[in-house]
Amino acid sequence: MNTIAEKYADQGVGSIFLYTHEAHPGEIYPHHTSMEQKHQFARDLRDILGVTRPIFLDVLDGVCHRAYGSMPNMTWVFNRSGIPVYKSDWTDVNSVEQALEYFIDVARRRRDGQRLAPFHAERLDYREQDREAFYKGLERNGPKAVTEFKEAFG
Amino acid sequence: MNDADLIARYNYDEFVPEKFGPWMRFGESPPLGEPAPDFHLWDLEEKETSLKEIWSQSKYTVVEFGSFT
Repeated sequence: MNTIAEKYADQGVGSIFLYTHEAHPGEIYPHHTSMEQKHQFARDLRDILGVTRPIFLDVLDGVCHRAYGSMPNMTWVFNRSGIPVYKSDWTDVNSVEQALEYFIDVARRRRDGQRLAPFHAERLDYREQDREAFYKGLERNGPKAVTEFKEAFG
Repeated sequence: MNDADLIARYNYDEFVPEKFGPWMRFGESPPLGEPAPDFHLWDLEEKETSLKEIWSQSKYTVVEFGSFT
């Protein structure tokens, strides 16, 4: 996601990372109990995961995250008026990039004089499952996170 | 549910279905094509801003929600 943020930055596309709550709390990165801790974890995430996009947080009760469906790793795209034009319950770089290409092309078509009206479409997208990387992430949070995930999903 | 309960439930302390399941609410999320709700946000220097301030700055804004895992 950092890569497409850089790729589309000069085409009028902004990108941020909104740090939420720890989906898999462990001994090293447990559940949040204060805003100071949430800020520190977000700074650690920036440094450890190498997130180059601006990182933001909402309040400790996750009011923004909850309002948008509170999925652990979802992505939304908003236009300048605050209208969501894309949402996915999981983040997949290919899916997001296809959406951006589509919206950039919409702007081109309008510049070319086409009269366009919005409509709703649904599509089932597919993401790569990198089990090894996922477990490394769980281990980063602590052994408890690994154990609980295995107990929940086998 | 009072504020303290909400904070504790949202920031659940263990990944078990009865604790994380209630938060999987994507089906209840705002619809596409209609104005989305705005919220206060803070950057890593603890400076306050808002979603609206952020999405107003670009033709399109990609917002990835996430954590360490």
